[in-house]
Amino acid sequence: MNKTASVVIVGGGISGCAIAYTLAKKGVKDIVVIERDYLSSGATGRCGAGVRMQWGTEMNCRLAKYSIEFFERANEELEYEYDIEFKQGGYLIVASTEKEVNQFKKNIALQNSLGIPSRLLTPKEAKEIVPHMDETKIIAATFNPKDGHLNPFHTTQAYANAAVRLGVEIMKYATVTGIKVENGKVVGVQTDKGYISTPVVVNAAGGYSQLIAKMVGIDLPVYSERHQILVTEPVAPMQGPMFMSFSLNIYCQQTPHGSFIMGRGDANEPRDLRITSSWHFMEEMAKTCTELLPPLKELRVVRQWSGLYNISPDRQPIYGPVKEVEGFYLACGYSGHGFMFGPVTGVVMAEAILGETPTIPVHMLDKDRFERGELLLEPSVV
Amino acid sequence: MRIEQHPIITFNKGRKVQFTFDGKVYEGYEGEPIAAALHDAGIRVLGHTHKLGRPRGFYCAIGNCSSCLMVVNGKPNVRVCVEKLKEGMAVETQIGRGDIK
Repeated sequence: MNKTASVVIVGGGISGCAIAYTLAKKGVKDIVVIERDYLSSGATGRCGAGVRMQWGTEMNCRLAKYSIEFFERANEELEYEYDIEFKQGGYLIVASTEKEVNQFKKNIALQNSLGIPSRLLTPKEAKEIVPHMDETKIIAATFNPKDGHLNPFHTTQAYANAAVRLGVEIMKYATVTGIKVENGKVVGVQTDKGYISTPVVVNAAGGYSQLIAKMVGIDLPVYSERHQILVTEPVAPMQGPMFMSFSLNIYCQQTPHGSFIMGRGDANEPRDLRITSSWHFMEEMAKTCTELLPPLKELRVVRQWSGLYNISPDRQPIYGPVKEVEGFYLACGYSGHGFMFGPVTGVVMAEAILGETPTIPVHMLDKDRFERGELLLEPSVV
Repeated sequence: MRIEQHPIITFNKGRKVQFTFDGKVYEGYEGEPIAAALHDAGIRVLGHTHKLGRPRGFYCAIGNCSSCLMVVNGKPNVRVCVEKLKEGMAVETQIGRGDIK
């Protein structure tokens, strides 16, 4: 069935749904979100769902702070009939090397200057916050009580429901097969469920954003990389914050349900689109986790899964229009933190599309910063 | 209740041993699943659902379903359908999700 839209958003994850909601709230009519599978089926529903303000660049700190302050009031603002399960237990980020401590001191100074209440802790103070950790494995830690985690499925659904109430159409199980460009301008999107005429296309396709960009002839400077996670059986509440280490390669949280969700990166991952699970991850994860958090050795693993990080050269998102094709916008390259940036993505993208003054200036996060050599390298990622 | 005769399974019973369930002494055969000994003693409620506290009984019998999680010798979340009975075991009803601290 053919139709006409004012904006077509490719991707039904947190980014696509937040952009659709924010545009609709600003009065834009005839918005269509196209999702190849079900909502949150990509990186959003596969992520660790932690949200933190403790970043190493001013940009990431500001984007994260804006988003977390939105999550605090999201149930009300999105009039969600369920609960996004936002638990602000903080992030305890531990350091195991002197180099890391020095970086954390810089990060904290930056974070505090932006109103983020993070602080440096001794191993003993860290153990008071996560009593079951082996504090002899660390030399310092940082803690921000405002960080936390929430349910990515509920959060995306909350955005989607609010967007639909404002008239947004969400096409699920529809695949974009091509984007039509005439005289350097976007004119429509071809899907397996019909053609949509539109002057604006937003690429919020997460791990598949480079494939969507290719449809208009753009080679995005990003690649996708598998990251794996596992979940355990539930136990009584015992861990308030997300426990994280960059050098020891772990993030581990206990959900309100009682299960533990944990993941780690792997430098040897091939840069392809596979999302299978491996024994290697299970073994390495179990080793890292039980060394740092010994009582968790009692837990049985219920299942593991994986998802795609869409990684940009400086580990920060790519936002905004492109010079090559008018009407084509990018919201991708999150490098593993797209879920937590969801709310701010919705706002800055809607502002970019409508030509409004940005709430947070993000023009330096355009695609061409890599050509210009103006990278904003984020030092603190897993 | 026990099945004494089965068309294809032979029961090689271990020796009779005593164990406790919620403080009360019961008897079973060493090496059989704890759940079998409880079933023989007429105990049908093994676990409870987390949210509503509804009773749950013997169900999958192969360690998959989490219906029979109990505290055994102080350790929570033991699947009694696949855990072997030993002399003197203390089996208790588990309240909530189990504390591993």
